[in-house]
Amino acid sequence: MTAFVEYLLTGVARGLVFALLAMGFVLIYRVTRVVNFAQGAFAIFGGLIAYSLLNAGVPHGVSEVLAILAAALIGLVFGIIAIGGDVPLLASLVITIGLSILSEAIAMLVWGTIPITFSGLAGHDFVIFGAFIQRQYLIVLIVSLVVFVALLYGFGRTYFGKAMSACASNPYAARLSGINVKKMGLIAFTLGGALGGLGGVLVTPLSPITYSGDVSLSITGFAAAIVGGLTSPGLAVVGGLVFGIAEQFVAGYWSPSNETAVALALLIVLLLWQAKRAPVGSLE
Amino acid sequence: MRASRKIPIYAIVAAGVITLALPLFLSSTNTEIYVTIGLYTIVVAGLSLLMGFAGQVSLGQAAFYGVGSYTAAILALHGWSPLAALIVAPIATAFLAFLVGLPLLRLKGHALAFGTLAVQLIFLAVIPETASLTGGSIGLSAIPSLRIGPLAMSSGRDYAYLVWIVVVVTLVIARNITRSRPGRGLRAMAASVSGASATGVEVERYKLKDFTLSAAFAGIAGGIYVFFIGYVSPDAFPVVLSIEFVIMVVVGGIGTVSGAFVGAALITVVSQLLTSLGTSPSLPPQLPTVLSLGVYAVILIVILRLLPSGLVGAFSRLWKKAQAASSPVSDFAGDENVAVVSAVGKEEPNEVTLVDEV
Repeated sequence: MTAFVEYLLTGVARGLVFALLAMGFVLIYRVTRVVNFAQGAFAIFGGLIAYSLLNAGVPHGVSEVLAILAAALIGLVFGIIAIGGDVPLLASLVITIGLSILSEAIAMLVWGTIPITFSGLAGHDFVIFGAFIQRQYLIVLIVSLVVFVALLYGFGRTYFGKAMSACASNPYAARLSGINVKKMGLIAFTLGGALGGLGGVLVTPLSPITYSGDVSLSITGFAAAIVGGLTSPGLAVVGGLVFGIAEQFVAGYWSPSNETAVALALLIVLLLWQAKRAPVGSLE
Repeated sequence: MRASRKIPIYAIVAAGVITLALPLFLSSTNTEIYVTIGLYTIVVAGLSLLMGFAGQVSLGQAAFYGVGSYTAAILALHGWSPLAALIVAPIATAFLAFLVGLPLLRLKGHALAFGTLAVQLIFLAVIPETASLTGGSIGLSAIPSLRIGPLAMSSGRDYAYLVWIVVVVTLVIARNITRSRPGRGLRAMAASVSGASATGVEVERYKLKDFTLSAAFAGIAGGIYVFFIGYVSPDAFPVVLSIEFVIMVVVGGIGTVSGAFVGAALITVVSQLLTSLGTSPSLPPQLPTVLSLGVYAVILIVILRLLPSGLVGAFSRLWKKAQAASSPVSDFAGDENVAVVSAVGKEEPNEVTLVDEV
């Protein structure tokens, strides 16, 4: 029971981080139709920048916020490179692949190859059903829930959110009604960067990150997003939780080395399930 | 037929003579590079068809290349004749791609890119776990050399000839496909998926065929590779190789047949240069990786932003301008393909694709 609760809670926390990445995928895909391969890079940069700021003596809280802002800025720059001007969809996708390996090169150059971590908010572990849980998990839980509620509210209720949804459902009509679709796309990239950065800041105290960690984060985030067909933010959160919990149970009850393999197998199963649901001849 | 009208005959003869003569003068290291360029040209030709016509990206071509290698190696080590093993390699690879593509190509949002990346990662994870069959992370060695009838192939030069024969065959297949009925269907598809399907193009089937063929190309190249090197281990098929293949396609020009060779040759040479540059003892150990990743990223992004039809496309446009300025004598080889690229790359406004989806 103790182990079960521990795996479940850590799984939920990690799942929420995946969900943040998945939200970024959904946000960017809905507005621009680009599947952003560099999504995991935002998280890596977020974590690494927070680490450097903390090392430079910037206090907790401030460092994390600055790192998230930096990730948002990186998101904006990536957005401009990937979709600025008149770029066809396939080219945008391949450009994000290029940006992802560029990020790896930069991260390796600046932060080296050694896994990096920093301590989260200091404080005692607490006990639930006999399981010791780090306080960081609680922070992950609260912060991401607040973000999800804010995002869902923002999408559904504000003018800006509705404009974004309009771009998602019919960019042509959105443009006719005076919405700048390109600008919305860049805003989506910026928000996607911030969400990725937040995920990175939250996950780094729990598990060390390296320059090359973006691929597995990207692929898990994508897998979570595919649960909602890349367009539903709510289902993306569900997807993230499924992946986080499954990963922890596999690592705990079976073996940590099977973690990635199971995540990949789960991705394939999800893709098959989605394909079965997709109408024959569905359009690109 | 149309090809021979388009390319001046002396160009074909010159290219043939150079290709045949080169192996006679190359050192063994350079022969290896020469063979590698040929092998990559085969892989890239397939991937280029996939990207140019189906509008899909595969990040698992290195895995398909690897599956071809392992299939050929395992069969040859289990008593099959090497030639039979080489023939089965692309078939097995194509079958795997068929299984992967069947569901994934029905999904929107470029699920194939992530699905094939997953295939690549699974491939790299499975090899070390199946040591009894695949030799694990150590690999398989003592693979017999290829024998075609009475012809035993032992020297690098033999393989150089074999590879370039296969290159010609695959390029001809690729060219014919782009000009056949399925090719026209695929081209229509690249311009507008819904338009193509409305006029009766079986979009899904063509995409799947395209993907399967691209894997088969990678499979045959992998098969030749393993007989050439005589040894295979998972280190030869990293994720970055898959990305390199995508870069080669982009550099040569998405959807162009001649671009496959240009991209493969250029990037192979660049990667050789980077390796020799980065491995000087005085430099930090991670520099080669930083350098190659950085250079690849910059090449990829710059080409896509500035020359979306690749080097071949850009060159042929220049050539056409020069021709128009003087006298319109002959047409450039890549011409028709460039039209495809512009259909994929330029003339198709994003909005149309997006509106289609509603």
